[in-house]
Amino acid sequence: MTPVLVEILLAATVCAYAAACGLFLAYLGNDRFARAGALAPRLLLVGTVLHAIHITSSSIILHICPVEGLHFALSVASMTACVVYLALRRRYRIDVVGAFVAPLALTFLLASNLVALSKPDAHYRRAILPIHVAVNLLGDALFMLAFAAAVAYLLQERRLKTKSLGGFFRKLPPLDALDRAEHRFLLAGFPLLTAGILTGVYWAHDVEAGGAASIARAAFGYATWLLFAAVLLLRAGAGWRGRKAAYGTIAGFGCAVLVLILYLLRGAGPAPAVAFL
Amino acid sequence: MIVVVGLSHKTAPVEVREKLAFSAEVLPQVLARLSARPELTEALFLSTCNRVEIFAAAHKDDGTDAAATAVRDVLAETGGATGDVHLTQYLYERSGSDAVRHIFRVAASLDSMVLGEPQILGQVKRAFDAATEAGTLGSVLGRCMTRAFGVAKRVRTETQLGAGTVSISSVAVDLATRIFSDLSGHTVLLLGAGEMAEQAAKSLGKGARHIRVCNRSFERAATLAASIGGDAVQWDALADELTRADVVVASTSSRAFVVTYDLVRRAMKERKGRTLLFVDIAVPRNVEPSVHEIDNVYVYNVDDLEQQVALGLKARQAEAEAAENIVGAELAEFESWRRGLLVAPAIVALRNRTREVLAAELERALSTRLKHLAEPDRVALRALMESSAAKLLHVPTTRLREGASSPDGADWVRAVTHVFDLPDSSNGAHASSAVASPGGPASAPAAVAATEEPVPAASAT
Repeated sequence: MTPVLVEILLAATVCAYAAACGLFLAYLGNDRFARAGALAPRLLLVGTVLHAIHITSSSIILHICPVEGLHFALSVASMTACVVYLALRRRYRIDVVGAFVAPLALTFLLASNLVALSKPDAHYRRAILPIHVAVNLLGDALFMLAFAAAVAYLLQERRLKTKSLGGFFRKLPPLDALDRAEHRFLLAGFPLLTAGILTGVYWAHDVEAGGAASIARAAFGYATWLLFAAVLLLRAGAGWRGRKAAYGTIAGFGCAVLVLILYLLRGAGPAPAVAFL
Repeated sequence: MIVVVGLSHKTAPVEVREKLAFSAEVLPQVLARLSARPELTEALFLSTCNRVEIFAAAHKDDGTDAAATAVRDVLAETGGATGDVHLTQYLYERSGSDAVRHIFRVAASLDSMVLGEPQILGQVKRAFDAATEAGTLGSVLGRCMTRAFGVAKRVRTETQLGAGTVSISSVAVDLATRIFSDLSGHTVLLLGAGEMAEQAAKSLGKGARHIRVCNRSFERAATLAASIGGDAVQWDALADELTRADVVVASTSSRAFVVTYDLVRRAMKERKGRTLLFVDIAVPRNVEPSVHEIDNVYVYNVDDLEQQVALGLKARQAEAEAAENIVGAELAEFESWRRGLLVAPAIVALRNRTREVLAAELERALSTRLKHLAEPDRVALRALMESSAAKLLHVPTTRLREGASSPDGADWVRAVTHVFDLPDSSNGAHASSAVASPGGPASAPAAVAATEEPVPAASAT
């Protein structure tokens, strides 16, 4: 397998994700494209399979463990989000949430290519590193799905509150399905995030040495954890459901994305290994 | 001439309609007020959650304005609860053919918020029964109403307008499934135990885990609950029930809000934010509108459901057109009958005049030249003249009836009246009222009564 083939696989994955996005949007935007709603998840599945092949093949060629660098971490996170969505979309009745997952997966995949492809330096290479990255990227994938469900919830909720019952309102999943899915994705992602934070403590002494960017990254990492913890606790204790929980989830995911953006802004510097610390 | 004055969901929002909503108890009073008006010869009062209308027959052909004014006065007198709402801007008027067409369309559910919904026919029939009982229906409006039931029946059987129709209840189910993916895990609370609650129970109750019925009269709640397999609860337990229910269908006849902002606010604390949907199909509304502002609470009243209904209209447009054609055909037939009614007094007057002239001539002859005839011969001669008059008038009266049923039928009537110097009977055509109007023509002329068909009961349709 050559690097050219890897590039072709990447391009094919991008095309499949982009086409899935287009079909989802067409389905939501126009009643004439009813079949697009059924085709879009299939195309997303094709993209996910291509994505998996791309990650596997490129990590073999480049001799980089997919869970040791941010480049692959972002890519694997978006692929994992697609896998979880495809596995659970029927069970949770959230087919249309794919309209939010597909663009996010595409964005993460493209963003991952902005991150330098290099092996982490020896200082970061510890046995705990793959665990740290793996739990974080899986957590990110689940938060991505929770975020997508939260956005869909807010759209649906807005429609119901303004009593605008036409248009793509009918195609969005019921409110309780979106709220339930969002909660379950958060519940599943939160222990992984906690594990990511705990395993990241190993490199905590590097934060001060890393300067303002490292401190901001760590701060947003903790803020993410605190926000998700608050959403889950308030939901259980104070009846924070629906809109408030959705806003909390979106804020938490926003913090997680900020952490990733801070990594991306580091440009060609040493490839960071840790997602949140 | 028939007149319709009223307002409906098309002209007045629920905030106005609920102020004009009448309970069944006041129906006789309204009908009594209508019958006391000399401008009206017949009247029927229809009050549903989507419309308040008075159908009336004007005293004279040229008296529609006066009749409409009289109806407006009665509406204003009766709807005392309207407060600062100016009714005039919401009221519409129809007269003549337009009024008849409107009545046919209402009965056929072509003017309903939910096109093709079946409840309106039952409501019109109840209004008809009430008017019949109060004695405010006569031959013209009565005939019009029975034809309206016939039109509704034809539309039901000859078109697919009612097939797969979204009733308010089914719209409520659809709305509920936009919020709750599966009703089987949820509880439906029916506030009120009337017909609307029963309809809602049939739709929503199929999938719900529990149905609970809360009504001021516990006995009625228990009866409805038993018929739908639900549980009846005491009215005092409403606050507790709001903490358990997920969908609340409110349809009580209360004139004040039954479900208030504070009540729901407290319930939502107990519910820990669980979503609550109110489907308020009552007019006047039962749920305070500000309840909709509470997080995770949604309140939909009858007007809010209209948009949902409109989505289904497109598919039934072809059926609606077929139904409109039926209305048009029936309207033409009714108008033909009504014009025919105009000629009846003239025909009777013509027959009487002929008989009177012949009888006078015969009696004169019998008392002079033919006074030698025995009594059996006199009887035979009278019978001979009677049958001759009937045969002689048969063709002219048939032609007259045909001519009168044409659009220029009034000219035919005027011509015959003029040619034979008959008494003017134009007032009598509509004076067939059963309305006990002190100032109006309380009894129909015998001539008209003799030619008219009895008004069949609504159940006959």
